[in-house]
Amino acid sequence: MTDGEPTPARFPRLARARAATGIALSQLSHARGRTVLTVLGITLAVLAATLLAGTGIGVIETGQQKFDAAGRDVWITGGPVRFSPTGVGGFENTIVGAHELDTELETREDVRASVPMAFQTVYVKSNETDYQTLVGVGSPTSGGAVHITNGSGFSTDDVHYANGNYSGPMSHEVVIDQRTADMMNVSVGDSLSIGGTTGIARQNEFTVVGISPTFSRFLGSPSVVLQLSELQEVTGTTGTDKATLMTLTVADDADPQAVAADLESEYPSYDIRTNEEQLKEILRDQAVLMAAGGSLVFLALLAGLALTVNILLSHVYHQQREFAALKALGTSSSTLSLTLVVQALVLGTVGGALGVALSFPAARGLNELAELVVGFGDVVVLPQTVLAGGFAIAFLMSLLSSLAVSRRIAKIRPLEHL
Amino acid sequence: MADSVSEQRSRPAADAADPATALRCERVAREYSRGRDSLFSRGGDAPTVRALDGVSLSIATGEFVAIAGPSGSGKSTLLHLLAALDTPTTGDVTVAGTDVRSLSSRQRTTLRRDTIGIVFQHFHLLPALSARGNVALPLIERGVSKRDRRARADELLEQVGLGDRAGHKPGELSGGEQQRVAIARALVSDPAVLIADEPTGELDTETGQRVLDYIEQTASERAVVVATHDDHVIDRADRVIRLRDGIVVSDA
Repeated sequence: MTDGEPTPARFPRLARARAATGIALSQLSHARGRTVLTVLGITLAVLAATLLAGTGIGVIETGQQKFDAAGRDVWITGGPVRFSPTGVGGFENTIVGAHELDTELETREDVRASVPMAFQTVYVKSNETDYQTLVGVGSPTSGGAVHITNGSGFSTDDVHYANGNYSGPMSHEVVIDQRTADMMNVSVGDSLSIGGTTGIARQNEFTVVGISPTFSRFLGSPSVVLQLSELQEVTGTTGTDKATLMTLTVADDADPQAVAADLESEYPSYDIRTNEEQLKEILRDQAVLMAAGGSLVFLALLAGLALTVNILLSHVYHQQREFAALKALGTSSSTLSLTLVVQALVLGTVGGALGVALSFPAARGLNELAELVVGFGDVVVLPQTVLAGGFAIAFLMSLLSSLAVSRRIAKIRPLEHL
Repeated sequence: MADSVSEQRSRPAADAADPATALRCERVAREYSRGRDSLFSRGGDAPTVRALDGVSLSIATGEFVAIAGPSGSGKSTLLHLLAALDTPTTGDVTVAGTDVRSLSSRQRTTLRRDTIGIVFQHFHLLPALSARGNVALPLIERGVSKRDRRARADELLEQVGLGDRAGHKPGELSGGEQQRVAIARALVSDPAVLIADEPTGELDTETGQRVLDYIEQTASERAVVVATHDDHVIDRADRVIRLRDGIVVSDA
């Protein structure tokens, strides 16, 4: 009936490898539903890893960009900002004599500009709403510290009258962000009552002179921006002239590091940091959060690995009779393993590529959501290293999983499955 | 019954060194463990079942042998031993002059690849591959080129009457056609031994007869061993070995 044995190919191993690859691809193509689900599982694992890693990097990069964009070289604080439940405003700002310090610093040759800023909780009321507590920001009005998107902005510079009171004329101008405008149902030209207490607020009516996203993005909450002196006046801190922090822009030929060191010796009671040190300090403050983020990435990788192994095991489980039949027919363990490894690598490559491709729209969606909720986007960034890492995870996890699973397949006993 | 148990046991096995002897069993026994009485029991030997007990036989090239017997008589166990899918607890099994017990699992796989063609009762064709791909499977391990594999598979499929069905997948073939594909797959490497387990068990009479025709045609070039309940197979075999309770009760 037969005409004798066929002869081996010129490169038998290559022929065997190509055939095993063909079988692997045929099996994947045949079990489409299972293949699609497996690819989806790997895609999700890659997405989880890239988005979590991208979020971690995005937070750091955004912080760095914000600091760079602020154009400040040196940051001065009086230590941590503390809550002051018994005081007006709810915060205990720790820089005392802010305007005097501002003047002193600006006389230095190595300092081009200094900007004192204060944050206080204030009561805000419009004609159409009850009192709301919002963050009041005291800021200088010149030098582009506040970016105005609608309206004319402040008409006068910040003025300070010390010795316990503010006896001069107040501008009674306020700049608000869009969320505050929506919340209070006001626009440019309307009035808002603002004060550290409702009593003070009743006596201080401010005109909205502009809409600005500058501080709401920074704070992540609705805010009202007043001239620093006027915020101090309506919160009762004019006498002590308190501010939360001061930022300095050094002269063109000055070294921020050297200026900071010099100031530190001159003002030992203040914390003085360069831009980079300030960012590091903030990141150190967020160490627990960052550790949690890192743990999430690690867990995502572990979950991805477990998921991939599990999916591949399930994939193999459903094919074990086929593998047993192949073994019974004389197929070697190495060919069976090769078939499995090829399947795993195809699944890993497709799942990894899909995961990387879907990372872009997913990151864009998350950034838009973040913009909507907290006021600033770019929370998730996807540098090439993260994308390459995501793909490598899928590929390596599939390879490792297939090697682990192929050990089981190599030991398969045909009689147990046929 | 042609031979008694005592007669069978005294029947001399053929000489393994004889080139005409394709398969040989000598005082073969196979025991299986039933496992422990309970999950928490400790120590002691697990109870065993003796599926084969002192079986001796030899099958020459060119013989078409049917192994018959009721369910549980040891037919499949004997077939598995002859196909080098299993090893005996005691005794010796020799396939084409090679002692199976002395082989590692890998060596037994190689022995099956080079020497034995197997036809399963449930076919066990790979559903993802075409009839041609299934038939060509055993040639992959031999490193045969794709072109040669294809030509060889087509040749075999033509011989079993499925030349026009080569591109169809198992799911598109009838039971009889699938069994013929399985036979073609078993023969594609031109093995010295063909082992078939209930090859007509899932087929209607007419299709079964056709399948038997194909098996019978191959018997002149190799040893063919078929485990069966089917009287049609028994009628057409050169020799019938009957088993009961793991013992050969007749061999004629």
